[in-house]
Amino acid sequence: MKTVSLYVDKDTFVHKLEPVTKLWYAFTSVILSFIFPSIWMGLLFLSISVFLSLVARVLKNMVGFVSAVLVVSLTMLVIQGMFYKENATLVFTIGDLKFYKEGLVHATLLIIRIVNMITAFGLLILTTRPSDMVTNLVQKGLSPKLGYILSSVLQIIPQMLSAASTIIDAQRSRGLETEGNFSQKLKAFFALIGPLVLSSLVEARERAVAIEVRGFGATKRPTFVKLIPETRTDRFVKFIMKFVLVIAVVWRVTLWILK
Amino acid sequence: MAKSSRLTTMIIVLIPVAVGINYAGKFFAEALKLPLWLDSIGTVLAAMLAGPIVGGISGAINNIIYGLTAGPVSFIYALTSIGIGVTAGLLYKAKMFENAFRALISGLIIAIVATVISVPINVIFWEGQTGNVWGDALFAFLRSKNVGIWLASFFDELVVDLVDKVLTVFIAYGIFRALPKSLIYNFRQEQ
Amino acid sequence: MDTEVKKIVVENLSYTYPLSKIKALDNVSFSIFPGESVGIIGRNGAGKSTLCLALTGLVPSFFGGKRSGRVLIDGTDVLDIPKEKLVRKIGLVLQNPFSQISGAKMTVFEEVAFGLENVGLERDEILEKVEKILRRLDLWSKRDQNPFELSGGQLQRLAIASVLALEPEILVLDEPTSQLDPQGTTEVFEVLSELKKMGITIILVEHKFEKLVEHVDKLIFLHEGKLIGFSTPEEIFSMREIDEYNVGEPIYTSVCKKLNARKPNGKYPVHFEEAVEVLKGALKRHGTNG
Repeated sequence: MKTVSLYVDKDTFVHKLEPVTKLWYAFTSVILSFIFPSIWMGLLFLSISVFLSLVARVLKNMVGFVSAVLVVSLTMLVIQGMFYKENATLVFTIGDLKFYKEGLVHATLLIIRIVNMITAFGLLILTTRPSDMVTNLVQKGLSPKLGYILSSVLQIIPQMLSAASTIIDAQRSRGLETEGNFSQKLKAFFALIGPLVLSSLVEARERAVAIEVRGFGATKRPTFVKLIPETRTDRFVKFIMKFVLVIAVVWRVTLWILK
Repeated sequence: MAKSSRLTTMIIVLIPVAVGINYAGKFFAEALKLPLWLDSIGTVLAAMLAGPIVGGISGAINNIIYGLTAGPVSFIYALTSIGIGVTAGLLYKAKMFENAFRALISGLIIAIVATVISVPINVIFWEGQTGNVWGDALFAFLRSKNVGIWLASFFDELVVDLVDKVLTVFIAYGIFRALPKSLIYNFRQEQ
Repeated sequence: MDTEVKKIVVENLSYTYPLSKIKALDNVSFSIFPGESVGIIGRNGAGKSTLCLALTGLVPSFFGGKRSGRVLIDGTDVLDIPKEKLVRKIGLVLQNPFSQISGAKMTVFEEVAFGLENVGLERDEILEKVEKILRRLDLWSKRDQNPFELSGGQLQRLAIASVLALEPEILVLDEPTSQLDPQGTTEVFEVLSELKKMGITIILVEHKFEKLVEHVDKLIFLHEGKLIGFSTPEEIFSMREIDEYNVGEPIYTSVCKKLNARKPNGKYPVHFEEAVEVLKGALKRHGTNG
């Protein structure tokens, strides 16, 4: 039973970095792209993320992520190009539709910001085992109960989906109407999800008993068997991120005061 | 073993199941080719069973996991899911799920809340769009008639959310009514 | 009553589930000595599972409801034992192998370590204890596998291992083989034999009577929450209430009852070999008549 994570198992420098380090990178790049809404800032982090994707050999998967926002980006270009409130400079027309420079530039900025966010977090997601990420966060102080929730969600979901799949097959063979008009389908939906909810809640109660009996919540500071190493590189990268973040915030605040 | 320990453990196992139910809802909707998401049923149920805070946490965790499994875009809308969970929990406490009529009203309220929360997110990230074909078509139309971004985005989002959320809440209500009282009891404080 | 020597003492235990008016357990009393293996039998709804939960304190602390009477382990009421000590005294294994995995661990090794992590043991100690129990239950080769990839029988062994990692002196098992195939059932009973050798006190609810009697010293017979009998298997299965309440019995006991073939002490046999001997005698007698 595989989990539903997008983790790509390779052995690269990026993969070996501590999850929290990669998290810092992702947050820093996103926050910076908001503090300094300029195309160059966005492109800077974007190129770093792309470069790291290459190093981590996950570029192909990264392209997959980005393509998810392709359609929205195109429509944004269209809509902003035509309707952005500061539109003034006409660039081109298609029939009756007028496209302006300010809108196109604005849309480009937004697109770069989004793609930047996707690639920065995508890097984290593609090169980190979710269970390692949770373990790392719990070691750094995240509540173990929250850690348990996050860890078990990842395994529960494929379980539920496979149960759902079984249910739908079973019900179909019993004559459940899955084609037809909207209200028929709605009835079918209800007949499918009802039993699944009931059985999963009952199982949840049993699981609660099982973990209680194994001392869940007995102490506030449980031990960890799995260890996520923090290397000098990790400390260095995290330091840089924090440093950059502080500088950026100070800079921005200063600019704002000087206005 | 303190009573509060039991409650915490029940809640801790409830939240992943709520997220799983969300996924299952989406799965069934797709399998039945329904033009809806129906991916918040678990969040609403968790809120009805264990309160607004648990509902909110379920919503948050839901989107965090979506982000990890379907792409980082979902992270952003965690706020919407939290809103759905918290609102559902509060409505339940206000006895707004006592009968079908009230459940319908609750559905409308939750749909509006979800819409309202999503609008600023839409505006910040996509300049008001939602990524949904029909919604964005409406959005473009409204913008072409010089309707403000916020209002246009609101209607864009409403197109996407209204029917989906009302049905989600109504289905959750139906399921909740069919659950055995002893099971519901497990998630509550002792009477 | 010398409650220090006895491992478990149940005194006048009564319990009602919340939202219910009927007593699930009604004035039950018995004692169990360290190292004993005791089975619990009775019809559905007799209170067997409730009794298991009461022994661990989950009833009433987890399920709510009203309890009267006491359940003492090593002289102290379970409700007065703090959780981290309690889980190291008594463990519980339930029917459904799938709902007993924590769901939060990616490997068998980590799953077994879960309980020890929860009570805050030192990491080195945990690694040592986990390896020990995995080897003992023949799961060491699977230590890096995902728990969800195991078969029913293996999962149940994993559930037992996870609970045993905490080194409880008492293990309560509520129908551990009811969802398993014959292979899985055999595996679980083999483990129980191991545990008996280790000196662990075992309490077992089980409907596979033939196997049950091979593994327990005494039986607790419950009906509608009341204790009907607490004695050796052959004493219990010879009681008229067994037939009256339609509880069921080892198949060879049924055969002997039908042929009214008893042991010299007047009881019906419950073990295979004994039944064969008794039936040989009975057939000889019938043979001379027919």
